[in-house]
Amino acid sequence: MRIMADRGKVGLRLPPITLKVEGVKIKELVEAIGDPNPIYRDREAAIAHGYRDTPCPPTFGTLAMQEFCGGYFRAFEALGISLSKVLHGEEEYEYLGEIYPGDVLTCSMTVDSIAEKQTKTGLMDLVTLRTVFTNQEGREVLRARSLIIERK
Amino acid sequence: MQSFVDFERLEIGDPLPPLTKPPITKVQLVRYAGASGDFNPIHTDDEAARRAGLKGVIAHGLLVMGFVGEAVAAWAPRRCLKRLGVRFSGMTFPGDIITVGAKVEAKERVESGLKIVCGVSAADQDGGIKLSGHFELLIPHSRA
Repeated sequence: MRIMADRGKVGLRLPPITLKVEGVKIKELVEAIGDPNPIYRDREAAIAHGYRDTPCPPTFGTLAMQEFCGGYFRAFEALGISLSKVLHGEEEYEYLGEIYPGDVLTCSMTVDSIAEKQTKTGLMDLVTLRTVFTNQEGREVLRARSLIIERK
Repeated sequence: MQSFVDFERLEIGDPLPPLTKPPITKVQLVRYAGASGDFNPIHTDDEAARRAGLKGVIAHGLLVMGFVGEAVAAWAPRRCLKRLGVRFSGMTFPGDIITVGAKVEAKERVESGLKIVCGVSAADQDGGIKLSGHFELLIPHSRA
């Protein structure tokens, strides 16, 4: 039996995830990337550059999406998508506010669209997920759009 | 203090100084898995990657996008970044040496400062494009 994304799931809102921003997670991420920018790991350097504390790097939003808080994997499960057939097609972030250690972000993911596409290598499902990140003050600080490709 | 690109002086079509990263290592993929929480085994386990039809582990797309984030925050202050979007177009393997390059595509003076749109891409040592996309900066007027 072929596994494929269920089109009836368009508009589905996944249960929101709460993400507490930790300085150590920011540091772990930039260490793995190999980004030497001192603003992410040294509070004094960040303050000297005009930040309140160590800001998060541009791709920090990926943390919310991932397995440790269930995001993507839960989404795939809800959509009936097999993980080994999944490719990441596109990712876009819109930065609306600053995110600092100690912030508590509520991340809400919605299944925006599901489309089928015929390519040279076969039939694929394109699933667009949108995530809105709201901080403890109720302010939207980040929006993410992810295009996930399921090879069939 | 960091020194950033002077976008006031750049014209449309001008390139930004490229960023070349050290070769990607398998250990880096393990670290990135732990840091990001993306434990899809195709990034860390060669057996699992082969079962999924790959020749071996591949890098997380978001790791390569992380290189783009590093480059952007070296070109302009982190807080000036308003939007970053990429399309992943090729798989990245351990040993690949990724270079991030960008070009100014639009420049517009707005009330709050200078709005810049750049096209950006990341390519390996053979010129194979791994991702391409755009980012948008808003550089506030200097108070000088």
